[in-house]
Amino acid sequence: MANELAALSQELAAAVERVGKSVVAVHARPRFSSSGVFWRPNIVVTAEHTIRREEEITVTLPDGSNMAAALAGSDAGTDLAVLRVEHQGSAAGNPAVQPAPGHLALAIGRSKDSGVNATWGIVSAVSGPWRTWRGGRLDAYIRLDLTLYPGSSGGLVVNTDGAPLGIATSALSRIAGLAIPATTIDRVVDEILARGRVSRGYLGVGLQPVELPDHQKGLIVLSVEPGGPAANAGVLIGDILMSLGGRAAADTEDVQMALEAHGVGQSVEAAVLRGGTAQTIAIKIGERPRRS
Amino acid sequence: MRGLGEIAERLRRSTVEVRLKGNRGGGSGVVWSNAGLVLTNAHVARAGQAEVELWDGRLLAARVVSRDARRDLALLRIAAADLEPAATGDSSALRPGELVMAIGSPLGFAGALSRGVVHSIGPIEGMGPQPWIRAGVRLAPGNSGGPLANAGGQVIGINTAIVNGLGVAIPSNAAADFVERGPRPALGVTLEPVPLGLLLVQIEAAGAAAAASLKAGDILLMSLAELHAALDSGEEVVKLRFLRGLEPDSRRLPVRETHVRLGRRRAEAA
Repeated sequence: MANELAALSQELAAAVERVGKSVVAVHARPRFSSSGVFWRPNIVVTAEHTIRREEEITVTLPDGSNMAAALAGSDAGTDLAVLRVEHQGSAAGNPAVQPAPGHLALAIGRSKDSGVNATWGIVSAVSGPWRTWRGGRLDAYIRLDLTLYPGSSGGLVVNTDGAPLGIATSALSRIAGLAIPATTIDRVVDEILARGRVSRGYLGVGLQPVELPDHQKGLIVLSVEPGGPAANAGVLIGDILMSLGGRAAADTEDVQMALEAHGVGQSVEAAVLRGGTAQTIAIKIGERPRRS
Repeated sequence: MRGLGEIAERLRRSTVEVRLKGNRGGGSGVVWSNAGLVLTNAHVARAGQAEVELWDGRLLAARVVSRDARRDLALLRIAAADLEPAATGDSSALRPGELVMAIGSPLGFAGALSRGVVHSIGPIEGMGPQPWIRAGVRLAPGNSGGPLANAGGQVIGINTAIVNGLGVAIPSNAAADFVERGPRPALGVTLEPVPLGLLLVQIEAAGAAAAASLKAGDILLMSLAELHAALDSGEEVVKLRFLRGLEPDSRRLPVRETHVRLGRRRAEAA
């Protein structure tokens, strides 16, 4: 009986048992519960898309007891929500060293009826910072080749040692489950606990990439939000944005990056072409209105 | 080291295909003893007779010895020499995350293997109070009744259903209990939960409910959980309250009572 397969099996089960002490079930939507992770004392992090109500949220702790949880805030962009719980909890361990494609990974969740649950596969792709289709930025793109079942989202993704790779979500990619990286979670949790939300910079313009006759690339202003930050700074429809905050603006992604490098409320230098003449305009970055 | 292939091959020899005469498709089964006992799902062995195909291609007639519809288990008997019964494990020691593999005839592909880990162990809403093994293994029709084994190749479950994409298996300890002590008491009815209780849709002619004069259309005044508890109470006779002939304008509820004789199970094996 003593074989390597059985040893691996026991190792996986031991990791699930250990890590499961940090994982709770989150009841904030009809039908299926989701999972959540004690990220810090009294703080549970889960997947934002599984939070369908703002009140009467409860969590099932590893000891099986139920407890009320208060929504501290959420960020749809990174699919993270932060809950406050009157229970210290056993916080997830230190994040794993850089995951690599091929590493074995477990996604560990919890449900009220069956307790801790696990699904297993590999990390299938890892790359640098990645913008989600919801507009948030993940510090790394960690794609998982494992099946996320209903209720798995919000659970903890770990390697076979039980070291966290991040939090599982099925909502950020159509083709695979992702692990939201630990550094992103730390950043979002900090911001939500400090301000109740993640604020994103906003100019209030509609932009379209254009190529100039001299093959330079810029972004032409197609619309200006009345009373928005760009309008207040005097930006006009037809201006061509060449750079923002010193960063060349060849694509709207460049603008997003420039806005992330500067906080809301800061002033940023925009280099524009107006009627063929170069101008510099200082724009005070506003906060993107929240979708209601 | 015993590799996955070797363990799977050993398990494959203890796995059979179960078919009903004249039916296409079927399920799988596990050779439980070299005396010719084969375990499968009750929903696979729907008739009294079945046909079993062994791993080496031998085709055998099988008789259904006993069934437990509540646990979806059926025991078949075949007459064959050189059977290789499966090794069984202790399903109560199983933990989420353990490696498991399923063998069966999904969509008719005999001996197909899929692997994964135990997802969770516990009751499933609408499937009674008993625990089930949920596993992240890919199952398909045809896996039903086949083995779910651990990394040592020991059978720890009987694959039974697919719920939300997860394989659902009956724990091997419950299967062993069924083989040793026979089916758990049953009413012998098809029922449907209604607001007042449990509506009896169909009554099996030879069942305990029929013997107690219960009829189709009667409504038992209890929940499914209460019925399961009564059946598993160990009592030989249970008293059931029910409604018969309920009219929309009746002033009094026509409540009646009956005593259902469930019979005695064999004593627990020492």
